[in-house]
Amino acid sequence: MKVKVVSHILEANDRIAAENRKLFKESGVYVINLMSAPGAGKTSLIEKTILELSGKSKIGVIEGDIAGSDDARRIANLHIPVVQINTGGACHLDANMISEVLGDLPLNNLDLLIIENVGNLVCPAEFKVGENIKVMLLSIAEGDDKPLKYPLMFQESSALILNKMDLLPYTNASIEKIRKNSLSLNPKLKIFEVSCRTGEGIGKWVKWLQSLIK
Amino acid sequence: MHEVSIAQSLLKIAVDNCKKEGYKGIEIIKVKIGRASGIMPDALSFAFDAVKIGTIAKKATLTIDAIPVTGFCEGCKSSFTVEEAYVLSCPQCGDLSIRIETGHELHIYEMDVF
Repeated sequence: MKVKVVSHILEANDRIAAENRKLFKESGVYVINLMSAPGAGKTSLIEKTILELSGKSKIGVIEGDIAGSDDARRIANLHIPVVQINTGGACHLDANMISEVLGDLPLNNLDLLIIENVGNLVCPAEFKVGENIKVMLLSIAEGDDKPLKYPLMFQESSALILNKMDLLPYTNASIEKIRKNSLSLNPKLKIFEVSCRTGEGIGKWVKWLQSLIK
Repeated sequence: MHEVSIAQSLLKIAVDNCKKEGYKGIEIIKVKIGRASGIMPDALSFAFDAVKIGTIAKKATLTIDAIPVTGFCEGCKSSFTVEEAYVLSCPQCGDLSIRIETGHELHIYEMDVF
């Protein structure tokens, strides 16, 4: 006996993501889902962003990692509300994991919530968690071939931050090639060049981010 | 790795629908997976066989229809189908003003139940 069931397989995730989205909207908090490969500098970017917005915006952070709480400790040192999620093996955060920890954050007191996804260029792009925008970080030492190798993440993101620009002279990466291929995948992508180590370019990124929060 | 999450989601949709309609078990679940959805059919089948154990779908087979990436080019006004998972410009004329029509599917569409 045949039964027709026309249903999107990620429907359950999308439904919870929509509930999270509604709660974020009611609480007046702007949410970014920050994604990159491991070691690209997500936590460093969050630290720099917090320092730059100090006294201007109230920020909370959710840290997603397979294991450990080193990242959450780094953020807690800046006196920012932070929750660590350990996915226990899963390669991405999903809407339900976020939903379960929202009670631990003072959402009504926040202007901005940064969700640091698990370091991975593939799976996080496919799971909505209730964010306003997805932001992708690519450190230039990873190589200029990444846009064409991991296209979905570039297509799903609203902004691409190129980190570790201070290392450019020591790599063979072409910023022009990264820009050209990223924009051909996603013509609306905003691209920022930064170095979390030297602080170069952080101001421009934060200014853009502030324009969204307001 | 995330094929396990996808397998769990599709299993839940199938089992919930089956129970709601009052059937006892599932024999076949049919899904459409686009080439650009980021899902590897082999990995999904493998994950499905692992997550179905102990459920009313324990004997079910998963039938995967792989949907190619197709689109329409505004430049040369023609349709195209490509083998690759992604297409950046029209494979016929190279124009960038293309519209992707299929290839992002991730749908369950039919089941055989008893």
